[in-house]
Amino acid sequence: MDPIRKRELKRQAWQRLSAQRRRAGLLRGRVVVISLVCFAFLWGVVFVQMATGNDPVLAPKEAAVRSAAAGARREGQAADAREPEAERRAQRAKARAAEEAGETEPEAEVELVEAEAQAVAPATEEAEPEAEEFVEAEPQVEEVEAEPEPLVTSQS
Amino acid sequence: MSEAVDTFPCFGGRCAVRVGGEGEHEAVAAVREAKRTLLAAHATLSRFDPASELSRLNRDPRETVPASPLLRRVVTGALLAGLRSGGLVDATLVEGIEAAGYTESRDFDAAREATVAAAPHTGAHAAGPSRRAGWCLLAVDEAAGTVSRPPGLRLDPGGIAKGLLADLVGESLSGFESYAVDCCGDLRVGGRSGRARRILVDDPGGGEPLHELRIADGAVATSGITRRAWSDDEGRPAHQILDPATGRPAFTGVVQATAVAPTGLLAETQAKAALLVGPERAAAQLPFGGVIVEEGGAVQVVEAIGAALPEVLAA
Repeated sequence: MDPIRKRELKRQAWQRLSAQRRRAGLLRGRVVVISLVCFAFLWGVVFVQMATGNDPVLAPKEAAVRSAAAGARREGQAADAREPEAERRAQRAKARAAEEAGETEPEAEVELVEAEAQAVAPATEEAEPEAEEFVEAEPQVEEVEAEPEPLVTSQS
Repeated sequence: MSEAVDTFPCFGGRCAVRVGGEGEHEAVAAVREAKRTLLAAHATLSRFDPASELSRLNRDPRETVPASPLLRRVVTGALLAGLRSGGLVDATLVEGIEAAGYTESRDFDAAREATVAAAPHTGAHAAGPSRRAGWCLLAVDEAAGTVSRPPGLRLDPGGIAKGLLADLVGESLSGFESYAVDCCGDLRVGGRSGRARRILVDDPGGGEPLHELRIADGAVATSGITRRAWSDDEGRPAHQILDPATGRPAFTGVVQATAVAPTGLLAETQAKAALLVGPERAAAQLPFGGVIVEEGGAVQVVEAIGAALPEVLAA
């Protein structure tokens, strides 16, 4: 083969190869950037949620129930595409029931919490006067019984 | 609720025991028993009675001497007082007290030479521990029932014995609703009721009480240089609280220190230490609070460390 032709073919091959590498690098870069952005975004969401004090682990039960219900509903919707109409209805009814349960339970729990708070509140209110009594309780007792005469500490 | 009370001469002054409870007979019996205990302790621990166990111990030529449980407790108390005060409270300065002129029992309340020692004293300086540190040489063997010290080292527990006896008697009365033991001004109060008692701090000059404390369970002791005070042969003011470093009556600028503490022994130790370190450092010796009276008559009320805790934590 003509050496000039051979060189030209080599050059074209290099060009193709380098173009292929550029595309691969570009794709790799895009994947990395998108991954990083998604990662940062998800962590940002988690961070904001935790920082605002809405730790789902520490959330009351109704949130878990609600999310479970939502999960069940999502599952039901996903199944809709595959399952026949009857099954879909049954699934919807189940999801609705779960949703209703999820909506009623929290109310009961809130009531329970409120009830507990009410039960605690009077105890706290009662405890405060007791603490005062501990420090200055003596006069109250003294009202009933005469205070003993004071002692005197003097040089021993 | 009624209180059974008895006041009687003891420890060179006046002691009092008060017991309150539902059973009047039990309270009266407890007061009688407490009085017997205190008088027996006085007979055991008197430096001026040659027949007392303390005097016999001080004369004994042996290094290790059998001792009664009470004397062992008192020697242990003297050792603890020396440790807690860094050697300022030294119960082995008998030579110094005798050299200052306190060789026999006196009725200080009748003589009342208080003004002699209370007057501002030139050259007041803080006391320091003794180089000899005789209190370090005391040892108690509870198993053997003995006390050890170098022969010739004499012991005068003084206020330490009063504070300790207030504790011991107080412990025996702790089952009653309320009790108060007064050993010549060293007080121990307590009882199941937890009722706070008013305690007045005496004026070293003989005036109105300087301050009022309220304590439900604990002890108060006062140490000063104006009550057991006299003039020596050369007319110089003298008193019973010695500077361990010099062996002479201490004039530190503080004439009276009152300490509050959980126990009578600790209160007595802290009161004496506060008096000996002088007005600048006296407050630091009173972690549970107290009252300091300086030579010029200035009264410094020291709050307990715990009272300032919220401010410290907030800072």
